[in-house]
Amino acid sequence: MPTARELRNKQQLHWEDVLEDQQLPDYCIGPITTTHIFRWSAAIENWHRIHYDKEFAVGHDKLPDVLMQGSWKQSIIPQYLKDWVLPEGWVWKASFQHRAMLVPGDLLTVWGRVIRKYEAEDLGYVDLEIGIKNQANTESCPGFATVLLPFRDGRKVPYPFIKPSQ
Amino acid sequence: MSCGNSVLTPEIQGKIGFLGEKTKCWGVVEREGLRRFSQALMDPDPRYWDDEFAASTKFGRVITPPIYPSYMDRSPPWGDDVVSQSFKHNINSDGMGGFPNRSGLPPIETSLKRILNGGNEIEVYEYAALGDEIYFQSKYAGIIERESKKGDHLLIVTVETTYTNQRNQVLCVTRQALIHR
Repeated sequence: MPTARELRNKQQLHWEDVLEDQQLPDYCIGPITTTHIFRWSAAIENWHRIHYDKEFAVGHDKLPDVLMQGSWKQSIIPQYLKDWVLPEGWVWKASFQHRAMLVPGDLLTVWGRVIRKYEAEDLGYVDLEIGIKNQANTESCPGFATVLLPFRDGRKVPYPFIKPSQ
Repeated sequence: MSCGNSVLTPEIQGKIGFLGEKTKCWGVVEREGLRRFSQALMDPDPRYWDDEFAASTKFGRVITPPIYPSYMDRSPPWGDDVVSQSFKHNINSDGMGGFPNRSGLPPIETSLKRILNGGNEIEVYEYAALGDEIYFQSKYAGIIERESKKGDHLLIVTVETTYTNQRNQVLCVTRQALIHR
């Protein structure tokens, strides 16, 4: 995970720098603790007991432990992509499924791989395969994303972003 | 092999495309809520807290993480305490039972009892910024029936929510696939 200083000084990656099948740098997070999970619930005011009450999660809902929230996974993916395209790129869209449950003790790897790059309306698009794996290499959040990276010399990525006409 | 009858009734099909009312989130995007959120996300990006640095970026001011607006629908300070309401009639509540449905969408009335989060889609167009008011509007973007490997009938209900600011600019769109089983 990058520090505030690294994010402040991030050098721009350009569309021309990216190759299809290229792996993005992983984010390694963890071990995840009950406290991390509780902190997320408190921050977004999600009071579902399966996220902080182990007795309820295991005894009532028959889960293995308290669970890391899907909303956290939904938020760490765009963060990971945002950091990759900073400062001038844009994370347009992402989609993912919720598969393996994430629980305290897990070591997480947020990952991405370029599957296609293309130009549309003078902007540089990159399609990615993305996910979050645990220490057993089990996929928890398989999905896809589309981001924009600026050209070295070309049209700037517009802000606010306007989706392409087709 | 299929077990039992279809669970996609005409009444449920009739809810496809239903658009809820546009609703304003209580309060505005503010620094303390943003700090708590970004720390819980473990994202120390100075664009979320350093005014001087944020002013030097293409965004021109302190902004929020991409889908932060989707977490702005918090309990307003008036009315019943939703946590107490959850446990008022059921001490074994899951903690969510007393929360009002603010999406404005009618309930999906089905015999299927469990609801799982099957997946999410997000689209991002602009970041919210300090002081922004956030509005949201939800609709049933799709309701389909599927069969599980065991032959049970499932409903997959896709709720699409659009988040806008006080200038009616679209900030982000989320879609959540809720599996009723």
